[in-house]
Amino acid sequence: MTTPLLEVKDLHVSVDGTEILHGVNLSVAAGEVHAIMGTNGSGKSTLTKVIAGHPDYEITKGDVLYKGKSIIEDEPEDRARAGIFLAFQYPVEVPGVSNMYFLRSALNAQRKSRGEEELSGAQFIELVKEKAKLVDIDQGLLNRSVNEGFSGGEKKRNEIFQLAMLAPTLAILDETDSGLDIDALKTVADGVNSMRATERAFLLVTHYQRLLNYIQPDQVHVLLGGRIVKSGGKDLALQLEEKGYAWLEEEAATA
Amino acid sequence: MTTTTNNRFAHTYTLLRKALPDEPAWVSELRDEAFENFRALGLPTVKHEEWRWTNLKRIADTDFVPAEPAEVSEEQLAPYLIEGADEIRLVFVNGHFAAGLSKSPALPDGLVIQPISRVLGSDEGLQVKLGRFAEPTPPFVALNTALFTDGAYIRAGNSLPVEAPIHILYVSTDSDQPAMSSPRTLVLAGESSELRVVESFIGLGVKPRFVNSVTEIVAKGNANVRHVKLLRETDGTSHVSWNELNVERDANVVSHSINLDAGLARNDVHAVLAAEGANCTLNGLVLGRDSQHFDNHIVVDHVRPHGTSNQLYRAVVDDKSRSVFAGKVIVRQGADGTDAQQQNNNLLLSDDAKVDTKPQLEIYTDDVKCSHGATSGQLDPEAIFFLRCRGLDETHARNLLTYAFANDVIEHIRIDPVRIALEKIMTERFAGLLGE
Repeated sequence: MTTPLLEVKDLHVSVDGTEILHGVNLSVAAGEVHAIMGTNGSGKSTLTKVIAGHPDYEITKGDVLYKGKSIIEDEPEDRARAGIFLAFQYPVEVPGVSNMYFLRSALNAQRKSRGEEELSGAQFIELVKEKAKLVDIDQGLLNRSVNEGFSGGEKKRNEIFQLAMLAPTLAILDETDSGLDIDALKTVADGVNSMRATERAFLLVTHYQRLLNYIQPDQVHVLLGGRIVKSGGKDLALQLEEKGYAWLEEEAATA
Repeated sequence: MTTTTNNRFAHTYTLLRKALPDEPAWVSELRDEAFENFRALGLPTVKHEEWRWTNLKRIADTDFVPAEPAEVSEEQLAPYLIEGADEIRLVFVNGHFAAGLSKSPALPDGLVIQPISRVLGSDEGLQVKLGRFAEPTPPFVALNTALFTDGAYIRAGNSLPVEAPIHILYVSTDSDQPAMSSPRTLVLAGESSELRVVESFIGLGVKPRFVNSVTEIVAKGNANVRHVKLLRETDGTSHVSWNELNVERDANVVSHSINLDAGLARNDVHAVLAAEGANCTLNGLVLGRDSQHFDNHIVVDHVRPHGTSNQLYRAVVDDKSRSVFAGKVIVRQGADGTDAQQQNNNLLLSDDAKVDTKPQLEIYTDDVKCSHGATSGQLDPEAIFFLRCRGLDETHARNLLTYAFANDVIEHIRIDPVRIALEKIMTERFAGLLGE
């Protein structure tokens, strides 16, 4: 059996002394797309931030393995350089830093750490043109400060654009589909679908089943109260759409 | 205390008068009058409201002798020159004109650029203009008027567009005893004229030094003046400056005060929008480190209707440095249709850095649009995390955000070579950034 790309083992996580994740187990193989669904406050965002290395979250027990190695002591930038990408639920505005400058810095920092040549200005522009077309992002936005004054949809599109530019091995999308109109949603889905590859995995965290009409997941997990209470195929998402989460909460309570 | 201090400057004054060359009687009278004025006013202390956050002990407790001329080489000056803004330059070393370092190509008719010392006796009208704009009551203005040795005199005739920047460099070198110099700048922009003036205050020495400068800028009707003051002193230097801007009908003055280095610096900007439709933009940046102390006091006085004023002051303070901002907007009775905006943002990079901010509005009429705001804080941790998640290391992320914060002021500078030079300086200061 090959090593999974991502393995979360009995993960317990606290913020300010309150435990939010109570032993999460998850295994994602390269080439797969997994969806994590759950109610508000179930710990979905916490899980994504812990994998990315947010300093405010404390791991009290368990481990996160990436390509078979524990990453929980690694800095966020080291994880990014190793190929882990988190698309933020609420993309951060960075006034005064242009998208282009930021992306070039990020891309070259990642390339440098992998021992690859930094991209020249011209090579970078070529790549930008190619990827901007892919995610249908307005070129005007690229020259503006990162996310500053962007609409909700533009911010999410920008996250997908960064995803396309940085081409990570493990892409985690934290509610990237929330609050999007159908056009923006399709753009996000098209972006993800076009990037599916045998060496790459996706972890889609979502509140709504709708996204999964456009992206076919290999597995769906339900996270409730800080635990994964059910895993299944695409049908599980349809079941949730139909029946809501209450039956799973009851099941979890009686288990 | 006050008596001792004033006696100390009395000694400086006596020494200076002895050292000065012959000058017209009206200048000597102006000096005597100003010194009497200073003697009566005394040095401000923290008990004065306008000085409560800036302690002048390091000036009050030191015996300063008038700074003497010194040799400075082109090589020493080179790091402070600005490519593209040095075709016309006036260099003063320790308050004395350095002809060898200055450059003044053929100037168009109607443009006068001279050391003040050379025009005091001429018919340039200085007798009327010198010291007539800056109010004589601030103690340091009085002290400068008594003690000034030289400085730049710039006058553009009516309708003359001077697009080449004029760079004035006030250089200080080390001396055996603590020395002081008093640079004096007078800029007169005639009706519908255009001027771009850059003042650099440069410290080449490390010993205690006091620089007390006064700059007066007069923009006649419809004139446009872009002004940048660059502070690049060393930590031994106490720098006090008074910047008087007199803006007449439909004229525009844009002045940037960029504080890169000084042990202690206090800048007063006093802008009078003296006629209808006068406009000014007063922006400033402080980049404090070590134990540096910067204090920027701004007063914008809207005297007549339909004036606009904009202020954006930002400070980045690291280590144990400190930044003070006090900005007052006065809208006089009858100054209807005034639009005045003021913004002060402070970024604290260390636990020991300190910021004080005091925005003030005094409005005596109804029909005005005024806003002001002040913020103080640290770098946004979520923004740092976001950048790190994209692969930038923490130092790079912090530097990028700091650069961006400061650049918000720099990017408004519309003397291109100066803006480009400052971007380079900031890139070096906040190391780890990609060169573009």
